[in-house]
Amino acid sequence: MKVLTGIITSLKGEQLLVLDNGKPVLIKTGDHPEKIFGNYSILKQHPVRINDETMKGPGVFKFRYGPVTAGVREAGCFYLYTYGEKILRATIDISWKQREIAKAMQGRSPEKALALAERVSSNFALSHSVAFSRAVEMALHQTPSLLTKNWRILFLESERIYNHLYVIYKLSSAAAQKVLAAHVSALFEEALRLNEKLTGSRYLMGINSTGRLLHAPDVAAVEQIANQYANMARQFTELYKHSLKNFNYLDRLHSAGTLSPEQAIKLGLTGPTLRACGVKDDLNDATEHLISLPVITQKEGDALARMEVRAEEIVNSCHYLVNHLRASDSWYDAKEKENIPQQAEGTGYAVVNSPSGALGYYVEIKENKMQRVEIFTPSYVGMHAVSHALEGLIFTDFPFAFESFGVHFADAAI
Amino acid sequence: MTRWWPIYGLKKKLTEQKEYVSPVGLTKPKTRIFNRSLFVYVIDVGSSNALNFEISALESPQYNIHRFGIFMTDSPRHADVLLILGRPVTQMLGPLKETIDQLPEPFYTITIDDHPDQPGLNDYPELPHHMAALTGIPSPSEILGLLLDIAKTKRMKS
Repeated sequence: MKVLTGIITSLKGEQLLVLDNGKPVLIKTGDHPEKIFGNYSILKQHPVRINDETMKGPGVFKFRYGPVTAGVREAGCFYLYTYGEKILRATIDISWKQREIAKAMQGRSPEKALALAERVSSNFALSHSVAFSRAVEMALHQTPSLLTKNWRILFLESERIYNHLYVIYKLSSAAAQKVLAAHVSALFEEALRLNEKLTGSRYLMGINSTGRLLHAPDVAAVEQIANQYANMARQFTELYKHSLKNFNYLDRLHSAGTLSPEQAIKLGLTGPTLRACGVKDDLNDATEHLISLPVITQKEGDALARMEVRAEEIVNSCHYLVNHLRASDSWYDAKEKENIPQQAEGTGYAVVNSPSGALGYYVEIKENKMQRVEIFTPSYVGMHAVSHALEGLIFTDFPFAFESFGVHFADAAI
Repeated sequence: MTRWWPIYGLKKKLTEQKEYVSPVGLTKPKTRIFNRSLFVYVIDVGSSNALNFEISALESPQYNIHRFGIFMTDSPRHADVLLILGRPVTQMLGPLKETIDQLPEPFYTITIDDHPDQPGLNDYPELPHHMAALTGIPSPSEILGLLLDIAKTKRMKS
């Protein structure tokens, strides 16, 4: 399976960052790339207003939702075309949170630019950090130790767990499932505390760097953390099974924001959103797992299917962490601190399996300074999917359609 | 056997009993009007999203902010405190001013600058009744400690 992740345009021509069977490759743009990749035009234009076409009709008016609203707390704006109840079209304005971080990285050293990468969307801080550092390592011919690689993979799973818990908390909260929402939010807070115990940061920031880890995780606490993840998996499984017997909850999510597999592939979606449509992706291969995690799929492509995929991934990731944390005391690499870049300039790219899909970086480095950084996030294509999924829904289904995609304005706008 | 949801909810006590301490002091003398009843409206003006997640974590049962009379409100017109997340991007300066104009007197504003050294962001405009300025990514405990200082409700036990 080939997925177009990003487009890199320069004076020499245009190149495409493609995820080919889970491996990122850079290829030259051929003739009519839009016929091969359905999302080519989406990535090429990169508009700040997604699906921005005016709609006219009897009684149709435009309803603005954002950028300051309690429903969507992030700074972003929806323009919903409606005649009263049904959403006929949704235009999403991501410009409210544009901070031009990629531009701010230029001229900085890779280490300093990495700190900015973590701030693009701090709930995906580790994914951004790992994708950026892998791209830099490729450019500078730097090989991180096995110890670093292993820990990065474990941290990525920690990030997946708390992000998925957050999405399920938001969905259950929107469906007025107060008891479920309270218990899932308690687990969400617990997951953030485990991150802090493991790395010193609730958002896994400041531990990863280019070619190495900045500090080793607290090995003394690892056994206790592993036990807590095992406990979390048990508690969440119990909650999840319980929630699947609650038809009030299921009915609210069922057929809300449905995407067909064809639409999902055309939009270039990856991650839980694509897998909820019944399409198996190869993203796990991009993460270089120690052992392969099973690829969870569902068929319906609606908010319920997306929730189910995330729920099963939480349990899998917890078990994965438990097994590997307990084995981590055998990871040791004496050459960890000797790992230095082999050159001061080059070009690199990387894609990681973030909680919401493929997250890619393309970097150009000259004299150990960032010359160019391109960031390709799952939230950008995800926002296009949200815009499509909202069409035809009634207003009360809005939070289910939006929250189930796990997309964020900070991640989409950059 | 499947338990009914409320029964499931009752079987565990998740709320924690501890003292919450603010990382900063209050910059102005406070009114007593908010004692034990504080409604907070949150506005994101350019945060990196960690603060949004921390506010969601603050709403988790471990903190149980309602026991202190603290509530998140859905409208600035019902708010006693405006919690401003992040340092403002240019686009959000207008909506921030508009939101402040909607707050009923008396009110306080609190800023949390999650990444103080980040280039390209604006300084805060002059904020009325600016009660506290936090930096970095404060934990929910620290945010709650600050809110309790304003609500003048600091108790070891609920």
